[in-house]
Amino acid sequence: MNLFKNKLAIITAALLSAPVSHAMDVSFEEDHSLPLVQINLAIKAGFVTDPAGQSGMTNFMGEMLRRGTRSKTKEQIDLALDQMGARLEVETRAESMIFRGAVLASQLDPFLALVEEVVTTPSFPEGEIRKLRAEIVSGLLEQQGEDSALEAKDFAEFLFGDHPYGKSELGKIKDVEAMNRAKAIHHYSMYVHDKNLLLVGSGDAAKDKIQKWADQISEKLPTGNKPVVREVSRPHNAKKRRLMIVDKPDRTQTQMSVGQVGVRMTDPGYFPLYVGNHVFGGPSFSSVLMKEIRVKRGWSYGAGSGFRYGQQPRLWRAHLFPASKDAAPALAETLRLIEQAKLHGITADEFRFTQTSLINKAGFMYNTPAKRVENALLEKTLHLPDGFMKTYGPRIAETTLDQVNVAMKDFLKPDEVAITVLGTAAEIREDIAKAANIPVNQVVVKPYTQD
Amino acid sequence: MRVTPFKAQISTVLLLGMALAQAGCAGKISRNGSEEVVPLVGTFQVHRYSLKNGLKLLVVEDHSSPTLAYQTWFRVGSRDEVPNYTGLAHLFEHMMFKGTTTHPEGEFDRILEQAGTEGLNAFTSRDYTAYIQELPKDKLDLIASLESDRMVHLVVDEQSFKTETQVVQNERRYRTENNPDGMIEQEIFGLAFKTHPYRWPVVGYQADLERMSGDDARRFYQSYYNPAHATVIVVGDVESEQVLKIVQKNYGSLPTISAPVHILEQEPVQKQPYRKNIKLNIQIEKLMIGFRVPPLVGHEIPALEVMASVLTSGKSSRLHRALVDTGIASSVDSYNPGEKDPSLFLISVNLQKGKRAAQAEEVVRRELLRLQKEPIPEREIERAKNKQSFDFYTGLSSNYQKAKFLGYFETVAGSFEKGIEIRKQIQAVTPAQLQEVARAFFVPNNRTVLTAMPKGAVK
Repeated sequence: MNLFKNKLAIITAALLSAPVSHAMDVSFEEDHSLPLVQINLAIKAGFVTDPAGQSGMTNFMGEMLRRGTRSKTKEQIDLALDQMGARLEVETRAESMIFRGAVLASQLDPFLALVEEVVTTPSFPEGEIRKLRAEIVSGLLEQQGEDSALEAKDFAEFLFGDHPYGKSELGKIKDVEAMNRAKAIHHYSMYVHDKNLLLVGSGDAAKDKIQKWADQISEKLPTGNKPVVREVSRPHNAKKRRLMIVDKPDRTQTQMSVGQVGVRMTDPGYFPLYVGNHVFGGPSFSSVLMKEIRVKRGWSYGAGSGFRYGQQPRLWRAHLFPASKDAAPALAETLRLIEQAKLHGITADEFRFTQTSLINKAGFMYNTPAKRVENALLEKTLHLPDGFMKTYGPRIAETTLDQVNVAMKDFLKPDEVAITVLGTAAEIREDIAKAANIPVNQVVVKPYTQD
Repeated sequence: MRVTPFKAQISTVLLLGMALAQAGCAGKISRNGSEEVVPLVGTFQVHRYSLKNGLKLLVVEDHSSPTLAYQTWFRVGSRDEVPNYTGLAHLFEHMMFKGTTTHPEGEFDRILEQAGTEGLNAFTSRDYTAYIQELPKDKLDLIASLESDRMVHLVVDEQSFKTETQVVQNERRYRTENNPDGMIEQEIFGLAFKTHPYRWPVVGYQADLERMSGDDARRFYQSYYNPAHATVIVVGDVESEQVLKIVQKNYGSLPTISAPVHILEQEPVQKQPYRKNIKLNIQIEKLMIGFRVPPLVGHEIPALEVMASVLTSGKSSRLHRALVDTGIASSVDSYNPGEKDPSLFLISVNLQKGKRAAQAEEVVRRELLRLQKEPIPEREIERAKNKQSFDFYTGLSSNYQKAKFLGYFETVAGSFEKGIEIRKQIQAVTPAQLQEVARAFFVPNNRTVLTAMPKGAVK
């Protein structure tokens, strides 16, 4: 499937070499209630920037940073972090790679010094490259045992095809096995420099101290003349409904997704769709999907829908996991509900109830320092306005029932959805195809062990 | 459990267990006959009250945001079930979201969702069942009213029970039948325990779930759901005296019912190692080793918590170095569940591609033997204690987490102060104590080994 070929637009040479200005974007909230400090150092490049044939490279490069510097081996770094009682982990998202650090406040100075060293003077030792490759490949093989994670990954790949949003954080086994030191160093030199970093944190430390530390890192990193932004183009739905079965033996239960390309948080229809989705799939025990699939029929333990966000519209999916015997009727009902939502929208009662609920709970989106840190990371890596996550309450209050129903009618594309079902194909294929209204011979069947 | 995984309960307990560290001193300040104030951490204090009907109330004031966490912990879990009725405690937890004599089915969720409730949920473990919410601060009276109502006025409708049984069977398929780690955990507890209820999974067995009726649920409810069997915990932007008034108003008139006495059959002493191999649809081998260890209130628990850190907390830990850095495993973890009765200290290993569980088992055996023979250097112990401190503070960093810490220790250990005490004891653990627990528990006759291999693989 090459539905989204040639979608990667690379904007190069965005920054000139002079004048030099080191200006890492820093946001730190002092919170002295507990002796802890959280530091998130984000690189504004995620797995969508993985080069062709090198899926998983951004994550690989990030993991390699903490596996050796010019003056420290991996063992020395591990020991130092553990001695401080600190944590330093890599999280790779579609459009960012985040070093997530946390430490006891009493150990902040040595921790900052170590993180600075890790980010600015990595050595990419050959021995560690080999070890990391083997660990990631084994992790990917382990993932094949986890139905829910495997199906979610396969759904994104099926929906987006060759579009970068179809990639996954860890990459493909064949690509990981081909990774080497030169490629990792090249990726580091492309994306880890001062203008491409940002810092968000909170905790028991002075803001000035963190700012000063960020400035030091900026000064030690190269500045300027490198490609800093790799933007992906807007993905589009396929022009027909598609179905893929991820075939795994002996399943008594399926994992199922029905979805399509999503929406940007800054798009005009976003808040109406946010409300509409909440009515449809929650997360709420009063949502349409939960009531029809779980409460009334007992078909699935979980049933919900939601968005994944990106700089471009990413995905919206309904997800459920019915027993194999109930998979076909559950799929048919889910598709029917999506069609009904498009056709009739939501009712005035549903709207009032959900609007009130969302307004009343909006404060929980930012009621702790940890949540405010996550919000800032999202805002800064997805190009959202500062403080965007605090606008949910008022924006939802402004939303009308008509806006919701117009937005849902326009957004939902039941005839263009991608459907993935992880299950035992021999047992479910015909009934699932029938429920999806797709000829059996057009159903894609992928062995669960296929990379 | 409505959404939260069982696995999470294990890891949470673990985290808290590791966590319990250096909270403030456990000195009590008694303000009057019915209230005690106990320092928790930093400037936070726990206000403890008891109602005449036996309900316990714990309150922590935290005015950093206009919200509160409200949790109700019942001293009942799968430990209180009997054979042929496995999974009833958890299934009943699902039923608690159905109707009462005053609120028809669906209204509980609807009222709370409209009020802006966050994290409306529940979870069941071997020892407890907890109902959790976070709400805007002005909804305290509302939640107290709804929770007190369903504590004694629940209606178990037969059709609704049957449907929910289907949901729970699906939950079982999700957590166990189609989940390698869930299956391994079910098998290792089933192998290690011969008579104790810890031998069956919290979610229960499929045949039992199919067999149970609404009458079973009603009997269970009448036995275990009453104020004398529960602790209410409120953490957030509240005044403790005001909370007491509201709780008194909503729960004060509920009748006291004595909890049934459940005499558990003594688990026989393990006299030989147990071992089992299972085949699953996995691509890498998995290994889990369990050693029987004392309950949460046991005096060995602080040393076992430090031991877990020495073994697997952080990339410089012993088993990470011996298994992951050497290319045998892709990950290794250990945890001490900290339960009401003796349970299993677990070590779990995911092998790397082409590596065998037997190889990892030999490495673990060698490392455990080393712990018995050689004292752990002070600096390594300090490292483990620092990890414990870190986990302790991160485990108390929100209203929800503080409430969970209090609920867990109050319910499983009998008082939250035990958590603070363990925290202090962890900081005082010595090399000799660690050697002692290694010699006492990490021995062959106390060991259960479960290996999982890919289907089609040759043993």
